[in-house]
Amino acid sequence: MDESALLENYLIVGALLFGTGLVGFFSRRNMIVMFLSAEMMLQGVSVNLVAWGRYHNDWGGQMLVIFILTVAACEAAIALAVVLTLFHKSGSLDIAIWQRMREENQPAYVDRDVSPDYQPDHQWPKLTPSGIEPKPDLEEITHRAHV
Amino acid sequence: MSLSDLINQLVIDTLGSTAAFRGELVLCGTIVLILLSRVFNLTSRVDSFYVTLAGSAVALYLAGPWLTVEPVGGSQQLFTGLLVYDSFTIYFRTLLFFFAVLFAVFTRISGVPDRDAAPDVYTLVLGATLGMCLMASSNHLLMVFLSVEMASVPSYALAGILKGRRQSSEAALKYAVYGAGTAGIMLYGISLLAGVLGSMHLPTMGVRLAELLQAAKLLDGTNMVLALGGLMILVGIAFKLSAVPFHFWCPDVFEGASAEVNAFLSVASKAAALALLARVAIGFGSIAVPAVPATQVAMFSVSEQAATAQGAPSEAAAQTATPKIERSSQIKALAPARDFLARVLAFTAIITCTFGNLAAYGQTNIKRLLAYSTIAQAGYMIMPIPAAMVLAGTNPEAAGAAMAAMAFYAGVYLFMNLGAFAVVAFLRNALNSEDIADYAGLIRRCPIVVVCFSVILFSLIGLPPLAGFNGKLLIFSSLVEAKLWTVLVIGGLNTAISLYYYLRVVKIMTIDPEPENRIPVSLSFIPGTYVAAITLPLVVLGIWWNNLNQFALSAAAHLF
Repeated sequence: MDESALLENYLIVGALLFGTGLVGFFSRRNMIVMFLSAEMMLQGVSVNLVAWGRYHNDWGGQMLVIFILTVAACEAAIALAVVLTLFHKSGSLDIAIWQRMREENQPAYVDRDVSPDYQPDHQWPKLTPSGIEPKPDLEEITHRAHV
Repeated sequence: MSLSDLINQLVIDTLGSTAAFRGELVLCGTIVLILLSRVFNLTSRVDSFYVTLAGSAVALYLAGPWLTVEPVGGSQQLFTGLLVYDSFTIYFRTLLFFFAVLFAVFTRISGVPDRDAAPDVYTLVLGATLGMCLMASSNHLLMVFLSVEMASVPSYALAGILKGRRQSSEAALKYAVYGAGTAGIMLYGISLLAGVLGSMHLPTMGVRLAELLQAAKLLDGTNMVLALGGLMILVGIAFKLSAVPFHFWCPDVFEGASAEVNAFLSVASKAAALALLARVAIGFGSIAVPAVPATQVAMFSVSEQAATAQGAPSEAAAQTATPKIERSSQIKALAPARDFLARVLAFTAIITCTFGNLAAYGQTNIKRLLAYSTIAQAGYMIMPIPAAMVLAGTNPEAAGAAMAAMAFYAGVYLFMNLGAFAVVAFLRNALNSEDIADYAGLIRRCPIVVVCFSVILFSLIGLPPLAGFNGKLLIFSSLVEAKLWTVLVIGGLNTAISLYYYLRVVKIMTIDPEPENRIPVSLSFIPGTYVAAITLPLVVLGIWWNNLNQFALSAAAHLF
């Protein structure tokens, strides 16, 4: 396979990865998946750069890829830290919860058209309370076993 | 070339570069010191504020124009061409370090990072400042990306620094999400441009682009790829500048983060992003004067010391004579690239300015209002860059003057926005509120602060005899020079529009009656003095603006 055909193949793979990441970034609502998509965009860029580096016979592309990986790790660390604080506050990874700050007279985004077979979460049966009410354990209240 | 040769060259290059880089090195040292004080549990004994203040003051002293290492031949390449060191770098670096000093004092007075959080906040602030210095001096797409990230990542954390508040976390989230997305898009643009042009070194890319355009070898497809790559890089810079349509994070982050962080984001981040935009635009729209690599700098000084190489200067002169003709023809060949950049940037400037001013109308929260005001101001500050692009081919001096107008406005803007957010922070401490309505009748309580705030707002509008007027005058005259009449008319109309919402704040503070059930407000002496000290330069620069203007003009002298 000649060089330019090889380059073209890799550029297509890179563009696909980037495009998938971009679409995922715009369409997903789970915060972790959003940041994963952002990482996927960066991987598409890395494929591109390595392919171009080989085509031009230049190590510059690979060098930039190493830097991209490092910076992506830093960004992911900050992003996950933010996600963690937010999760502690709301107990959910849905990004649509975080819309308190917006323009005045701008209605909040609410889910319309929830599909009919959507089941919220498993409903546990409730027992009639009896006996002495136990003291609330703060740790138990703040701890969430499930996402 | 053998390995030892490479290492030798690297050593010479690094040693030749460090002298010009010492301001940043001092900043690095300060960051390490603050972190070490945290590690060894010295925070109770060592106040990180003093470390920060001393560090940034020393950096300012070492990097400022008074003690500067003259860039050899007007512009000099540092670290194998990754950075460029010229008077433009010196100007923006001085601006950033000066801002770091003022900012440290401001945080001390307003008391927002408390003693516990102070080391973290100052580390983040200094780290971001370091990234911004690199933004202003980057000469390589690797540095463009790295410096944007170095400035952004600490800013995400700073936006969420008030850990207990829900709004603060929301601000950090919105900033980080937006930043991650735009960083990816910018990198894709970098990969396209670097791939097609076969280099990431900005001046080399400009030369390659000129060669491609000269030989008319550009197929339609390549043309599109280059344009797309350029636009994608501009997306990343527009995010840092909060230019429309990449401004959505700005009002929310400003509302959620504390006023101190807002001051940092709106002044330092914006000035650095403007410098970066200028660098990238010049990189693709014009061929810079060939910069001297640091290896050669070191060698020249060695040969001068030895006083043996008599032929060296004449040889160098002969070398520069031939590229001169080549350079002018290359600059001519780059006309389509300049035209493209000028159109895109002029359009961005127009919509940024108009949108910012219109959206600021209905705001009730002072921080949101100031956020839209910074968006509009970013629009004004982008305007000289398309003007410079239009002028670069025909009249390099006028193009330099346009860039100088941008640099001058960035310098004035430092005082205006730092002052405005300082007032917001001090009033928040006194009133516990950031609603404009709560500022009613404040003139009877703290007249000095209200008068200063009014002066700052008048300067933001651009009324004479304040410094904001001179900045706008320079910007608009560069537009006249470039015959960008549409931009000029819309800029003028925008100034008129902005009058209303700035004056509304002044009116509420001075004319409106005081609410009856308000707790007595009093600002102590020190905050008032600080605000007055920040406002004073606006008045002084409004009348004696020649010095700063000369400094800005000399900063832009070597760009074209």
